[in-house]
Amino acid sequence: MDHDLKNLGVPEEKLFSFHSHSDLESEKITAPRYSYWQSVFRVFFRNKLNVAILSILALLIVFAYLYPVLVEYDRFGQLLNPNAKHLSPSAAIQQFGFSIHWILGTGAAGQSTFDSIWTGAKISISLAFICAAINMTIGVIVGAIWGFSKKVDVVMQEVYNIIANVPSILLISVMVMLFSATFWTLVLALTITGWLSIAYFIRTQVVIIRDREYNLASRCLGTSTIKIAMKNILPFMTSVIVTLLATEIPSYISSEVFLAYIGLGMKEMSLGRLIYEAESAMVTPGWGFEFWSPVAVSAVISVVLYVVGQNLGDASDPRTHM
Amino acid sequence: MGKYLFKRILHGIVSIVAVVIIVMVLIYSLMNRDKIFSSDGAIIKLGSNEKEAYRYSKWEEYGYLDYVPYAEYLLELVANGELDEETRSHAVAIGRTPDKDSEVAQEYVEKFTQLYESQGYTVVRLPAKLQGNRLVKGGMQQLFAYRDRPLASRVIKYFTSLVTFDNIHYVKEDIGERGLTFTLHDPLYGGEKFAPAIIGNGTFHKYLFYVDGTFPYLHQNFATINLGTSYTVNRGVDVFTTMGASQGPYVLSTITFPTGLTEESADDLHTATYAAGSQSSNAVNADRFTDDYTNVQTVKGNMSKVGFSFVLGIISSILAYTIGLPIGILMSRQKEKLVDKLGTFFIIFTIAVPSLAYIFLFKALGSRAGLPTTFDLSSNNKLMYVLPIISLTLPSMANLMKWMRRYMIDQMNSDYVKFARSGGLSEGEIFTKHIWKNAVIPIIHGIPGSVLFAMTGAIITERVYVVPGAGNLLTEAINKYDNGVIVGVTLFYAVLTVVSLILGDVLMATVDPRISFSTKDR
Repeated sequence: MDHDLKNLGVPEEKLFSFHSHSDLESEKITAPRYSYWQSVFRVFFRNKLNVAILSILALLIVFAYLYPVLVEYDRFGQLLNPNAKHLSPSAAIQQFGFSIHWILGTGAAGQSTFDSIWTGAKISISLAFICAAINMTIGVIVGAIWGFSKKVDVVMQEVYNIIANVPSILLISVMVMLFSATFWTLVLALTITGWLSIAYFIRTQVVIIRDREYNLASRCLGTSTIKIAMKNILPFMTSVIVTLLATEIPSYISSEVFLAYIGLGMKEMSLGRLIYEAESAMVTPGWGFEFWSPVAVSAVISVVLYVVGQNLGDASDPRTHM
Repeated sequence: MGKYLFKRILHGIVSIVAVVIIVMVLIYSLMNRDKIFSSDGAIIKLGSNEKEAYRYSKWEEYGYLDYVPYAEYLLELVANGELDEETRSHAVAIGRTPDKDSEVAQEYVEKFTQLYESQGYTVVRLPAKLQGNRLVKGGMQQLFAYRDRPLASRVIKYFTSLVTFDNIHYVKEDIGERGLTFTLHDPLYGGEKFAPAIIGNGTFHKYLFYVDGTFPYLHQNFATINLGTSYTVNRGVDVFTTMGASQGPYVLSTITFPTGLTEESADDLHTATYAAGSQSSNAVNADRFTDDYTNVQTVKGNMSKVGFSFVLGIISSILAYTIGLPIGILMSRQKEKLVDKLGTFFIIFTIAVPSLAYIFLFKALGSRAGLPTTFDLSSNNKLMYVLPIISLTLPSMANLMKWMRRYMIDQMNSDYVKFARSGGLSEGEIFTKHIWKNAVIPIIHGIPGSVLFAMTGAIITERVYVVPGAGNLLTEAINKYDNGVIVGVTLFYAVLTVVSLILGDVLMATVDPRISFSTKDR
């Protein structure tokens, strides 16, 4: 090597120059730029199916929130018209002329089924999102503390054993009786103990990774508990939380339908209430549309929300970002 | 293990008591008491003071408070011999307003007030409501005392009367020689057939032990479980009996009554209980019975509420396990292939679609296929079980498939599988001998739960198919404000949860020798 350089005939000063030493520079590790959320969305949108389902979801939500604003929905507008009740789509179109209101026929009070389901969908979707937001926030925070502290764990285990055994139907019916059956009562009834099962799930996840070696190392190096929670544990849990959210949101739509069916629902015309009130129409020939339309809409909303959530959960797992 | 189990059971009992306390607070303190009158036809006919008194008497019946009308107090004094009938008739006539009371009345009103106020009661005196000189409708003057039942005494009373033991001093009236007789030849079977029985005199039940041809064949009445007496759902009957009593049409058989009268009847004489004075006061009873043990249950042709729920639940559980687990395993073996994708679609369907929606879907499809869609107690058509069982099986099957697939895939990536593969084992061997055994352990934990909770029934399924099961008992009780039933059913559920969790742990520890609950075994 030495020999080769000499043969070049260039003086040494020209070949090499001194470079100042920088501590900061020497610590840098070269790696491609990585942004977590950017990668999540890159992976999520790579799948064309996700794009399609997301646009269906957007369409549903826009429709549910915009349509009732644009169209005035009067449930009892045609109550006195005996010829308007329980019409099939074709009969309704024949009677009132073609309009978007009548493409699904009419219900028991002569109201447009199409209008009803979108008014109902708005309420049901709102309920699902609000309940999920409240329960997930409380559940994740309490679950994280529950998993971290062994003292809290002892107390919370007992609390969980007790509260989980109180029948939720009883709790909800007491709430409904105390504060009358409104939208916000149902929110309260679904959230008052709803966070507990989420917190328990998160607690188990935290316990699993709490004592891993890298957390132990962090602790030995003097990292504060809050920083460990925020930097070490929370990123690990993101995909779990998103996946949980995917099952939670449809579950509120489902339980709203269930509660309405057993007579504990709210006064507002939610999807559950529509299904409950049209139950007798299911078996009556020709009346099927007023029952199956809200069922189909609630099913579609739930499935779409679930699939979006599941795939977002998959995408938020950093191991899929390669 | 024994010590650990003991600790677990103790913890379980503590949480059960806590659950009952919470439920009692919910229904007796938080719920609006006036709601019970919302569907009461009698209260509309009453006015003014009478209405007020009626409300308190109803609240006592529903278990909210203790209520003592003045007249009842006086009658009790007469019964105890502290007051003669003559004075009572004077004392009971209180004036329209307190200052118009006669002297005797004043004296006893004073006594009544003092006695009950010292016990923490509130004494209420409603002066007569007049319109001019005439009483308004129901405006008679009222005097009564009431006290909200304190939570502590309510809870203690509930748990101490949970199990009652029959004894020969139960009957207060004179009944002749009290005692128990043991016989090897039950007189109900003619006195010749070998059938051991213990017959009591002075006890609540006539037969304390007997043998008959229905499950569980040997019956005892020494200890009775009282979960809570029903008021509206099944008036005066304990929840435990409501859940366990047979339903449907009466089953008649030739019965010889103690007097020798033989007739076609559905009475089950083994269930006879004591009812004071019932033999002499009722001509029908006088013809049939020789003593006051006349209160008998009837034999009906169909299963009990719990029976129906259990049969449906257990069949669907067995189906879910025998179909769901193999499919879950198949999905994990064919990961990302057609079977897996179809299975995942099915799982998503059951999770995301509201359960009510797909139960209705099955009902509609079933009726197209000509299956009966509602339960009929009088028919013996076994096809009516098909749709409820399908509706119950599919969601739990989807759940099992989901977890079985998850556990299998998790195990597939572990080191011992790679080791086994490098050792030259075939894939089939690895799956059946290694992965399956490890993956099924968390599934086994849930088996006792699914067996026990089959008894509680499913609310929606039973409603949609009109199954006379136990699933609707809680919602029915809540709708009818039947507080005794609510508490009883809650206790039943809580006990099942605690027992199934403990059994699940025990089963898991027996199947997997690595799991141990006592620190010493390790």
